[in-house]
Amino acid sequence: MDFIRNFSFFSIVLSLFSGPLSSILGRKWAKRVNTAEIILLGLMSVAVLWYVLQTGEAFVYTMGHFPAPWGNEIRAGVLEAFMAAFFCLIMLLCMWGGVRERESEIEASKQNLYYIMVNLLLCSLLALIYTNDLFTAYVFVEINTISACGLIMIRQNGRTIEAATRYMIMSLLGSGLLLLGLCFLYDLTGHLLMSNIQEAVHALVANGQYQTPLLVSISLMCVGLAIKSALFPFHTWLPDAYGYSTVSSAAILSSLVSKGYIFLLVKIFYRVIGFDIISSSKVIHVLFAFGIAGMIVGSVDAIRENDIRRMIAYSSVAQIGYIYMGFGLGTTAGVIASIYHVVCHAATKSLLFIAASGITDVSGGSRHFEDLTGAGYRNKLAGVAFTVGSLSMVGVPMFAGFISKLYFAQAAVGHTVKMLPTLIALAISTILNAVYFMKTVIRLYTPVKDGEKKAGYGTITVRQQPVKAVALILFILLNVILGLNAEPVIGLIRTGLEMFS
Amino acid sequence: MSDLWILSPVLLTLGVGIFLLVWSFAEHILAAKAFRPAEPAAGSKPEKEAGLKTVHGLAVGTLLAAAVLTLGAAWSGDRSVTLFYLMKDIPIYFHIDDISRWFVTVVTVIWVLVGIYSTVYMQHEGEEKRFFGFYLLVYGVLVCLDFSGNLVTMYLFYELMTLASFPLVLHNGSREAIMAALKYLFYSLCGAYMGLFGIYFLYRYCSSLTFMPGGTLSPEAVSGQAGILPVAVLLMLIGFGAKAGMFPLHAWLPTAHPVAPSPASAALSGIIVKSGVLAIIRVVYYIVGPDFLRGTWVQYTWMALTLVTVFMGSLLAYREPVLKKRLAYSTVSQVSYILFGLAVLSPAGFTGALLHVAFHAVVKCGLFLTAGIFLFCCGKTRVDQLAGIGRRMPAVLWCYTLFALALIGIPPTSGFVSKWYLAQGALHADIGVWSYVGPAVLLVSALLTAGYLLPITMKGFFPGQEESSGSAEDTEQKQRVQADTAGAAKRQEPKAAMLVPLLILAALALGMGLLPGVFTDFAGGIAALVI
Repeated sequence: MDFIRNFSFFSIVLSLFSGPLSSILGRKWAKRVNTAEIILLGLMSVAVLWYVLQTGEAFVYTMGHFPAPWGNEIRAGVLEAFMAAFFCLIMLLCMWGGVRERESEIEASKQNLYYIMVNLLLCSLLALIYTNDLFTAYVFVEINTISACGLIMIRQNGRTIEAATRYMIMSLLGSGLLLLGLCFLYDLTGHLLMSNIQEAVHALVANGQYQTPLLVSISLMCVGLAIKSALFPFHTWLPDAYGYSTVSSAAILSSLVSKGYIFLLVKIFYRVIGFDIISSSKVIHVLFAFGIAGMIVGSVDAIRENDIRRMIAYSSVAQIGYIYMGFGLGTTAGVIASIYHVVCHAATKSLLFIAASGITDVSGGSRHFEDLTGAGYRNKLAGVAFTVGSLSMVGVPMFAGFISKLYFAQAAVGHTVKMLPTLIALAISTILNAVYFMKTVIRLYTPVKDGEKKAGYGTITVRQQPVKAVALILFILLNVILGLNAEPVIGLIRTGLEMFS
Repeated sequence: MSDLWILSPVLLTLGVGIFLLVWSFAEHILAAKAFRPAEPAAGSKPEKEAGLKTVHGLAVGTLLAAAVLTLGAAWSGDRSVTLFYLMKDIPIYFHIDDISRWFVTVVTVIWVLVGIYSTVYMQHEGEEKRFFGFYLLVYGVLVCLDFSGNLVTMYLFYELMTLASFPLVLHNGSREAIMAALKYLFYSLCGAYMGLFGIYFLYRYCSSLTFMPGGTLSPEAVSGQAGILPVAVLLMLIGFGAKAGMFPLHAWLPTAHPVAPSPASAALSGIIVKSGVLAIIRVVYYIVGPDFLRGTWVQYTWMALTLVTVFMGSLLAYREPVLKKRLAYSTVSQVSYILFGLAVLSPAGFTGALLHVAFHAVVKCGLFLTAGIFLFCCGKTRVDQLAGIGRRMPAVLWCYTLFALALIGIPPTSGFVSKWYLAQGALHADIGVWSYVGPAVLLVSALLTAGYLLPITMKGFFPGQEESSGSAEDTEQKQRVQADTAGAAKRQEPKAAMLVPLLILAALALGMGLLPGVFTDFAGGIAALVI
């Protein structure tokens, strides 16, 4: 079965080349090829996961069999393979969930372009996950940025172009900082391959050399990736980008793109620098502080928002804050909780975006709260899905969000100093979450008075939109499964992190 | 795993509940599809009635079957079931002990009686499939809550109970009901999250989160940095106290109870608020341990909060003109009697608290059902409209009077027994000046209780003649009273399905006071175990 070792490389190349392929196909076929490709990639990732679990150790794949300093390497362990499979699943469901909006909101001539962008995005995500080379990672970070910009502005109205420009400026700033940090590190160590850098960095730390440049380099990389994944206070680009783009883009951006960068950060922590050095440096305290600030500020902004899509977007700011707070705890338990939250947030936030689009569809296309009254009755599945997503985000037991909060708390109580701020922030942010999500759910199920009926209040049944319904139902199931039976996923994350070192 | 059958009543009620909900949901969709504006409704009514009979039969049958199964499970020994592991060291774990038996029996008796009552009452509220669907769901969740054997399982079902019970509050779908349900949800969720916050801490300081009489606090973890733990415990008390209507998170109760349909308010007031009490018992006596709290500032703060609530609730009830709202304020006050009994941390106080859980459930449930009958048969909601009601339905008003006497605590009714133990507990506990202040406040509150409950009896049997003071408003009121009295002259008792549960509750309220030995022994046994 050693053939499976090629799969991770295959999946990157396959998604890279199916981009050009979909540009020459017809619209229908492009869609089918895209779906088939994502499913195939997911299956290959599952195969890799199975293989790695069987052998019990990560494998390194050298491209073209050139040895290390010249060749490029791919490395697949349990966590990489699991993340790749999970990202493919979410990508597939996001594409299904937004299929109707894509066809109505994007010009017909540009729809093939959308599939190209999605292919490129998936390719860069997989490369970020699998690569063992820091510079390759940087290259794919840029590809990721460009395709994400394309996904935002492909629905052409004034707001998306502005949002895409903002996103591009912030994102390029982030990549620039990442590149700077990377150059410093290259200067210090003379390597670009992750495992080599780690050896060199450990030698430097042991000798006590170049401590300040090393710290600068670590912080530059952290800040760069924090900007790209919208950690408070670099989150200002986010609400517009998520709020106005077409719904699959919003779902993909919030659940995959920002998570790809976070995964890269985890890799930098564990594979490039070494987690012992990271957890003894002061950088994580900064991440912790901004994570906690993000949890609170994001939720407060979401409460003040009057537009459902932007509200969900602000909620992402808060959730990203949770993830950085977990990193900031500086323990493996904290990182496990954060990675689990990545998984759970990806499953929940894309569900919320897609459900919200179903809700706005039956409210005359308006996203303002006053117009959403009673939408849960007009589009029943979307209403249920939004409720499930909200309960999960608030952290009600039985849904994914509760488990991740429990793990955050468990990670925090092992920590003497940061325990109290973490638990208080968790409590405050949970209550704030409850305020705005429950407000929305109640609004959805408030019956409309006869005099208040507005134009465009149609009804949508499951039968009219079967694909979207399937996506929503699968998302709901995913949330409940993650909420009831989290232990296998946590086990995968734990073994994956052990394989990292 | 052979004890898995103890969850069969849960499965049964959840199954039938979900079936009814799906049925009601499907009906709505079909109705929306087959909507014809000028359809004559001639043949449809008997058909609908037949459908309703099925629903009632199904609901009551399920309730009875589930009740038998539940009681069978509860009284057949200490059984336990581990369903699955939520996290590596936190299973979903059920264990039946004496507290579970006590609570689940109260829940079952009340739930069945209110269920029978609802078959008639809900005819004027409509949407019966939805109501009974959620009603059964809440029962299943409550059984799980009472059976749960560790803190996280309890928390899980505590939250589910909130979610399953809030549709009962917003049943009639009016704006007022929805806002009340929203308020209920907010208070409950916020309270539960304060509890969860405490659970995070306890996770660190306790050797396990499984309930053990006397607590599981591990001394080596507490020693050194216990400064934050009392704060966390107080937060848990306030948080879970939200469900029990304890000051400062009591405000949802007088809003949510009056707008809910009367059976739902009876269930809320009799049972749902008691699950807050259950959570507090579990936390204080089975996780943290009474010894940790005894003599600390947490105990005194807690006691002060309960006494404030007792007094404030009674006072607000005394000033409240709407009957159901008055009863809701009365619940605020009475449940804090229970919490006060728990707060003194003495065996007698604990016994009194447990007794009052059962007695108050019976009595308050009966009172709300009476209020429901007044509303259902005569459309009367305000206290001043009830003059002369005793001529129209004497049996109902006699039951009401009995409940009122029991709530005040006049022997030989049941309320006297529990209050006796509560006062004893306070007087004999080593809590300084509080052992006198406590019973004094309870006495004053009992006087107020008499003041807000008994006038209805007096006016109901002896409406008398209001003195005219000449102002237009008074004249109008007088005319209305006279008209009511005239209309009420005919004797007209409610249907048997409404009256019989009421009579059973009244018999219980009296009988448990006449033969309290069994109950005090049982409760005293638990108290000796945990303290």
